[in-house]
Amino acid sequence: MIIPMRCWSCSKPISHLFESYKERMEKGEERKKVLDELGLERYCCRAIFLGHVDLLETASEFKKF
Amino acid sequence: MMTIEILESDVKNNKLSFVLKGADSAFANSLRRSVLRDVPTMAIEDLEIRKNNSILYDEMIAHRIGLIPLTTDLKGYNISEDCKCKGEGCASCQVKLTLKVEGPATVYASDFKSKDPKIKPVFPGMQITKLLKGQKLEIEATAVLGTGKQHSKWAPGHIYYKNKPVLNAGNVKNPEKVAQACPPGVFEVKNGKLVANQALLMKYDLAGTIEEASNGEAKIEETDDFIFYLESFGQLSCRETLEKATETFESQLIEFQKLIK
Repeated sequence: MIIPMRCWSCSKPISHLFESYKERMEKGEERKKVLDELGLERYCCRAIFLGHVDLLETASEFKKF
Repeated sequence: MMTIEILESDVKNNKLSFVLKGADSAFANSLRRSVLRDVPTMAIEDLEIRKNNSILYDEMIAHRIGLIPLTTDLKGYNISEDCKCKGEGCASCQVKLTLKVEGPATVYASDFKSKDPKIKPVFPGMQITKLLKGQKLEIEATAVLGTGKQHSKWAPGHIYYKNKPVLNAGNVKNPEKVAQACPPGVFEVKNGKLVANQALLMKYDLAGTIEEASNGEAKIEETDDFIFYLESFGQLSCRETLEKATETFESQLIEFQKLIK
Protein backbone atom coordinates (compact mmCIF):
# COMPACT_ATOMS: atom_id res chain seq x y z
CA MET A 1 0.00 0.00 0.00
CA ILE A 2 2.25 2.81 1.26
CA ILE A 3 5.79 2.49 2.55
CA PRO A 4 5.81 1.82 6.34
CA MET A 5 6.92 4.73 8.56
CA ARG A 6 9.49 2.58 10.30
CA CYS A 7 11.19 -0.73 9.68
CA TRP A 8 8.97 -3.54 11.00
CA SER A 9 11.83 -5.22 12.71
CA CYS A 10 14.34 -2.63 13.97
CA SER A 11 12.04 0.45 13.96
CA LYS A 12 14.47 2.64 12.03
CA PRO A 13 12.54 5.49 10.33
CA ILE A 14 12.48 4.73 6.60
CA SER A 15 9.48 6.32 4.89
CA HIS A 16 11.35 9.54 4.03
CA LEU A 17 13.85 7.53 1.98
CA PHE A 18 11.35 5.94 -0.35
CA GLU A 19 10.86 8.81 -2.80
CA SER A 20 14.53 9.13 -3.61
CA TYR A 21 14.82 5.33 -3.81
CA LYS A 22 11.98 5.20 -6.35
CA GLU A 23 13.39 8.08 -8.36
CA ARG A 24 16.85 6.55 -8.52
CA MET A 25 15.48 3.11 -9.42
CA GLU A 26 13.64 4.67 -12.37
CA LYS A 27 16.90 6.24 -13.54
CA GLY A 28 18.29 2.71 -13.72
CA GLU A 29 20.84 2.87 -10.89
CA GLU A 30 22.09 -0.28 -9.27
CA ARG A 31 19.88 -1.46 -6.38
CA LYS A 32 22.69 -2.35 -3.99
CA LYS A 33 24.41 1.01 -4.46
CA VAL A 34 21.18 2.96 -3.85
CA LEU A 35 20.29 0.99 -0.69
CA ASP A 36 23.82 1.40 0.68
CA GLU A 37 23.86 5.13 0.05
CA LEU A 38 20.46 5.57 1.71
CA GLY A 39 22.03 4.12 4.87
CA LEU A 40 20.01 0.91 4.97
CA GLU A 41 22.48 -1.54 6.48
CA ARG A 42 20.39 -4.31 7.99
CA TYR A 43 18.51 -6.77 5.85
CA CYS A 44 15.23 -6.08 7.64
CA CYS A 45 15.10 -2.49 6.32
CA ARG A 46 16.44 -3.50 2.90
CA ALA A 47 13.79 -6.19 2.52
CA ILE A 48 11.01 -3.63 2.94
CA PHE A 49 12.36 -1.55 0.07
CA LEU A 50 12.97 -4.59 -2.14
CA GLY A 51 9.52 -6.04 -1.63
CA HIS A 52 7.44 -2.87 -1.54
CA VAL A 53 4.78 -2.22 -4.19
CA ASP A 54 3.40 1.32 -3.97
CA LEU A 55 -0.32 0.79 -4.61
CA LEU A 56 -1.81 3.64 -2.60
CA GLU A 57 -2.58 5.84 -5.57
CA THR A 58 -4.26 3.00 -7.43
CA ALA A 59 -6.25 1.99 -4.35
CA SER A 60 -7.38 5.55 -3.64
CA GLU A 61 -9.37 5.66 -6.85
CA PHE A 62 -11.77 3.12 -5.40
CA LYS A 63 -14.43 3.73 -2.78
CA LYS A 64 -13.53 3.38 0.86
CA PHE A 65 -15.88 1.31 3.03
CA MET B 1 38.17 0.05 36.39
CA MET B 2 35.86 0.72 33.53
CA THR B 3 37.22 2.28 30.35
CA ILE B 4 35.62 3.33 27.12
CA GLU B 5 37.22 3.56 23.71
CA ILE B 6 35.18 5.24 20.96
CA LEU B 7 35.32 3.30 17.71
CA GLU B 8 33.09 5.36 15.50
CA SER B 9 31.24 8.57 16.22
CA ASP B 10 29.11 9.60 13.27
CA VAL B 11 27.17 12.67 14.35
CA LYS B 12 25.54 13.20 10.94
CA ASN B 13 23.99 9.73 10.83
CA ASN B 14 23.45 9.59 14.62
CA LYS B 15 25.63 6.56 15.17
CA LEU B 16 28.06 5.71 17.91
CA SER B 17 30.06 2.61 18.64
CA PHE B 18 32.46 2.05 21.50
CA VAL B 19 34.38 -0.67 23.31
CA LEU B 20 33.52 -1.02 26.98
CA LYS B 21 36.28 -2.63 29.03
CA GLY B 22 36.22 -3.81 32.62
CA ALA B 23 32.44 -4.19 32.91
CA ASP B 24 30.44 -7.38 33.27
CA SER B 25 27.49 -8.53 31.21
CA ALA B 26 24.99 -7.54 33.92
CA PHE B 27 26.12 -3.92 33.67
CA ALA B 28 26.22 -3.98 29.87
CA ASN B 29 22.71 -5.32 29.69
CA SER B 30 21.30 -2.86 32.20
CA LEU B 31 22.80 -0.05 30.15
CA ARG B 32 21.18 -1.44 27.00
CA ARG B 33 17.80 -1.90 28.64
CA SER B 34 17.98 1.50 30.27
CA VAL B 35 18.44 3.11 26.83
CA LEU B 36 15.57 1.14 25.31
CA ARG B 37 13.11 1.48 28.18
CA ASP B 38 13.78 4.57 30.23
CA VAL B 39 14.95 7.43 28.02
CA PRO B 40 12.06 9.89 27.50
CA THR B 41 11.45 11.25 24.00
CA MET B 42 8.65 13.15 22.28
CA ALA B 43 6.01 11.44 20.16
CA ILE B 44 2.46 12.20 19.16
CA GLU B 45 0.05 10.45 21.53
CA ASP B 46 -3.41 11.94 20.98
CA LEU B 47 -5.06 12.94 17.73
CA GLU B 48 -8.22 14.75 16.89
CA ILE B 49 -9.09 13.96 13.30
CA ARG B 50 -11.34 16.75 12.06
CA LYS B 51 -11.52 15.63 8.46
CA ASN B 52 -10.16 12.59 6.68
CA ASN B 53 -11.52 11.34 3.39
CA SER B 54 -8.23 9.92 2.20
CA ILE B 55 -7.99 6.23 1.34
CA LEU B 56 -6.32 5.32 4.64
CA TYR B 57 -8.54 4.79 7.68
CA ASP B 58 -8.30 7.13 10.69
CA GLU B 59 -6.65 4.41 12.82
CA MET B 60 -4.05 3.73 10.15
CA ILE B 61 -3.19 7.42 9.86
CA ALA B 62 -3.06 7.76 13.64
CA HIS B 63 -0.64 4.85 13.83
CA ARG B 64 1.59 6.28 11.12
CA ILE B 65 1.62 9.71 12.77
CA GLY B 66 2.52 8.21 16.13
CA LEU B 67 5.65 6.69 14.63
CA ILE B 68 7.08 10.05 13.49
CA PRO B 69 10.16 10.80 15.59
CA LEU B 70 10.07 14.35 17.00
CA THR B 71 13.10 16.37 18.09
CA THR B 72 13.06 16.40 21.86
CA ASP B 73 13.84 19.17 24.31
CA LEU B 74 14.32 17.34 27.60
CA LYS B 75 14.94 20.47 29.68
CA GLY B 76 11.73 22.20 28.62
CA TYR B 77 9.28 19.35 29.22
CA ASN B 78 8.25 16.93 31.95
CA ILE B 79 6.68 13.51 31.72
CA SER B 80 2.98 14.29 32.23
CA GLU B 81 2.58 12.06 35.32
CA ASP B 82 5.39 13.92 37.11
CA CYS B 83 4.21 17.35 35.93
CA LYS B 84 2.77 20.08 38.15
CA CYS B 85 -0.60 19.69 36.42
CA LYS B 86 -0.80 16.04 37.58
CA GLY B 87 -1.34 14.60 34.12
CA GLU B 88 -4.06 17.00 33.05
CA GLY B 89 -1.87 18.53 30.36
CA CYS B 90 -0.20 21.94 30.38
CA ALA B 91 2.41 23.85 28.41
CA SER B 92 5.28 22.17 30.24
CA CYS B 93 4.25 18.59 29.43
CA GLN B 94 2.60 18.64 26.01
CA VAL B 95 2.81 20.31 22.59
CA LYS B 96 0.06 20.83 20.06
CA LEU B 97 0.72 20.24 16.38
CA THR B 98 -1.70 20.92 13.57
CA LEU B 99 -1.92 19.65 10.02
CA LYS B 100 -4.16 20.79 7.21
CA VAL B 101 -3.61 19.51 3.68
CA GLU B 102 -5.89 19.53 0.68
CA GLY B 103 -5.42 17.17 -2.27
CA PRO B 104 -4.00 16.46 -4.75
CA ALA B 105 -0.89 16.21 -2.60
CA THR B 106 1.38 13.93 -0.64
CA VAL B 107 1.13 14.58 3.08
CA TYR B 108 4.56 14.83 4.67
CA ALA B 109 5.61 15.03 8.30
CA SER B 110 6.84 18.57 7.52
CA ASP B 111 3.21 19.65 6.98
CA PHE B 112 2.78 19.56 10.76
CA LYS B 113 2.87 23.03 12.27
CA SER B 114 4.18 22.91 15.80
CA LYS B 115 3.45 25.42 18.56
CA ASP B 116 7.00 24.99 19.83
CA PRO B 117 9.75 25.36 17.18
CA LYS B 118 11.99 23.03 19.23
CA ILE B 119 9.57 20.12 18.80
CA LYS B 120 9.30 19.22 15.13
CA PRO B 121 9.58 16.07 12.99
CA VAL B 122 13.18 14.84 12.70
CA PHE B 123 12.70 13.71 9.10
CA PRO B 124 10.54 16.26 7.22
CA GLY B 125 10.12 13.95 4.23
CA MET B 126 8.28 11.12 6.01
CA GLN B 127 5.16 10.27 4.01
CA ILE B 128 1.93 10.07 5.99
CA THR B 129 -0.49 9.47 3.13
CA LYS B 130 -1.35 10.58 -0.38
CA LEU B 131 -4.43 12.62 -1.27
CA LEU B 132 -6.30 12.77 -4.56
CA LYS B 133 -8.24 15.76 -5.84
CA GLY B 134 -11.01 16.73 -3.41
CA GLN B 135 -9.60 14.73 -0.51
CA LYS B 136 -8.72 16.52 2.70
CA LEU B 137 -6.84 15.78 5.88
CA GLU B 138 -7.21 17.96 8.94
CA ILE B 139 -5.68 16.92 12.23
CA GLU B 140 -4.87 18.35 15.61
CA ALA B 141 -2.26 16.33 17.44
CA THR B 142 -0.83 16.34 20.95
CA ALA B 143 2.74 15.24 21.52
CA VAL B 144 3.91 14.16 24.95
CA LEU B 145 7.05 12.76 26.53
CA GLY B 146 7.03 9.01 26.98
CA THR B 147 9.40 6.11 27.41
CA GLY B 148 10.12 2.97 25.42
CA LYS B 149 8.50 0.74 28.05
CA GLN B 150 5.10 2.30 27.27
CA HIS B 151 5.38 2.01 23.50
CA SER B 152 8.30 1.50 21.17
CA LYS B 153 7.51 4.74 19.33
CA TRP B 154 9.18 6.50 22.28
CA ALA B 155 12.35 4.40 22.08
CA PRO B 156 15.27 6.75 21.37
CA GLY B 157 17.20 4.37 19.16
CA HIS B 158 18.58 0.98 18.40
CA ILE B 159 21.25 -0.38 20.75
CA TYR B 160 23.03 -3.73 20.85
CA TYR B 161 26.30 -5.13 22.06
CA LYS B 162 28.45 -8.19 21.67
CA ASN B 163 31.62 -9.58 23.15
CA LYS B 164 34.69 -8.32 21.37
CA PRO B 165 36.15 -11.09 19.20
CA VAL B 166 39.88 -11.82 19.05
CA LEU B 167 41.54 -13.90 16.39
CA ASN B 168 43.69 -16.76 17.58
CA ALA B 169 45.57 -18.00 14.52
CA GLY B 170 48.62 -20.13 15.23
CA ASN B 171 49.79 -22.20 12.28
CA VAL B 172 47.24 -22.08 9.52
CA LYS B 173 48.17 -24.39 6.64
CA ASN B 174 46.19 -22.68 3.92
CA PRO B 175 45.54 -19.06 4.90
CA GLU B 176 44.30 -18.23 1.38
CA LYS B 177 41.32 -20.49 1.90
CA VAL B 178 40.36 -18.71 5.14
CA ALA B 179 40.80 -15.29 3.54
CA GLN B 180 38.62 -16.32 0.63
CA ALA B 181 35.84 -17.70 2.83
CA CYS B 182 35.48 -14.35 4.61
CA PRO B 183 34.07 -11.09 3.21
CA PRO B 184 36.61 -9.08 1.17
CA GLY B 185 39.07 -7.00 3.20
CA VAL B 186 38.83 -8.91 6.49
CA PHE B 187 42.06 -10.86 5.97
CA GLU B 188 45.26 -10.31 4.05
CA VAL B 189 47.80 -13.04 3.52
CA LYS B 190 51.38 -11.87 4.21
CA ASN B 191 54.29 -14.34 4.09
CA GLY B 192 51.89 -17.23 4.47
CA LYS B 193 50.24 -15.74 7.57
CA LEU B 194 46.82 -14.28 8.17
CA VAL B 195 46.73 -10.56 8.93
CA ALA B 196 43.33 -9.39 10.13
CA ASN B 197 41.71 -6.01 9.67
CA GLN B 198 40.59 -5.56 13.28
CA ALA B 199 37.74 -3.12 12.54
CA LEU B 200 36.13 -5.43 9.98
CA LEU B 201 36.74 -8.51 12.12
CA MET B 202 34.72 -6.84 14.91
CA LYS B 203 31.96 -5.87 12.53
CA TYR B 204 31.18 -9.33 11.20
CA ASP B 205 30.34 -12.54 13.00
CA LEU B 206 32.83 -14.93 11.45
CA ALA B 207 33.56 -17.46 14.19
CA GLY B 208 32.00 -20.41 12.37
CA THR B 209 33.35 -19.51 8.93
CA ILE B 210 36.94 -19.13 10.09
CA GLU B 211 36.95 -22.30 12.14
CA GLU B 212 35.49 -24.32 9.29
CA ALA B 213 37.73 -22.91 6.55
CA SER B 214 40.89 -23.56 8.59
CA ASN B 215 39.85 -26.98 9.95
CA GLY B 216 39.96 -25.61 13.48
CA GLU B 217 43.49 -24.20 13.23
CA ALA B 218 42.29 -20.59 13.52
CA LYS B 219 39.67 -19.64 16.06
CA ILE B 220 37.73 -16.59 17.07
CA GLU B 221 37.70 -16.19 20.80
CA GLU B 222 35.43 -13.95 22.79
CA THR B 223 36.96 -11.55 25.29
CA ASP B 224 35.30 -9.92 28.28
CA ASP B 225 35.17 -6.54 26.52
CA PHE B 226 31.92 -5.37 24.96
CA ILE B 227 31.42 -3.56 21.70
CA PHE B 228 28.35 -1.34 21.86
CA TYR B 229 26.54 -0.08 18.79
CA LEU B 230 24.06 2.75 19.27
CA GLU B 231 21.97 4.19 16.50
CA SER B 232 19.72 7.08 17.48
CA PHE B 233 16.49 7.72 15.59
CA GLY B 234 17.13 11.46 15.79
CA GLN B 235 15.03 12.60 18.76
CA LEU B 236 18.17 12.93 20.88
CA SER B 237 21.83 12.65 19.96
CA CYS B 238 23.67 9.43 20.89
CA ARG B 239 25.50 11.16 23.73
CA GLU B 240 22.33 12.70 25.17
CA THR B 241 20.66 9.29 24.98
CA LEU B 242 23.44 7.61 26.95
CA GLU B 243 23.63 10.44 29.48
CA LYS B 244 19.90 10.32 30.10
CA ALA B 245 19.95 6.51 30.33
CA THR B 246 22.61 6.53 33.03
CA GLU B 247 20.80 9.35 34.81
CA THR B 248 17.52 7.41 35.00
CA PHE B 249 19.37 4.25 36.03
CA GLU B 250 21.04 6.19 38.82
CA SER B 251 17.76 7.68 40.03
CA GLN B 252 16.26 4.20 40.17
CA LEU B 253 19.17 3.05 42.32
CA ILE B 254 18.79 6.05 44.63
CA GLU B 255 15.08 5.32 44.98
CA PHE B 256 15.89 1.73 45.90
CA GLN B 257 18.51 2.86 48.40
CA LYS B 258 15.97 5.06 50.15
CA LEU B 259 13.54 2.15 50.38
CA ILE B 260 15.95 -0.22 52.14
CA LYS B 261 17.01 2.31 54.79
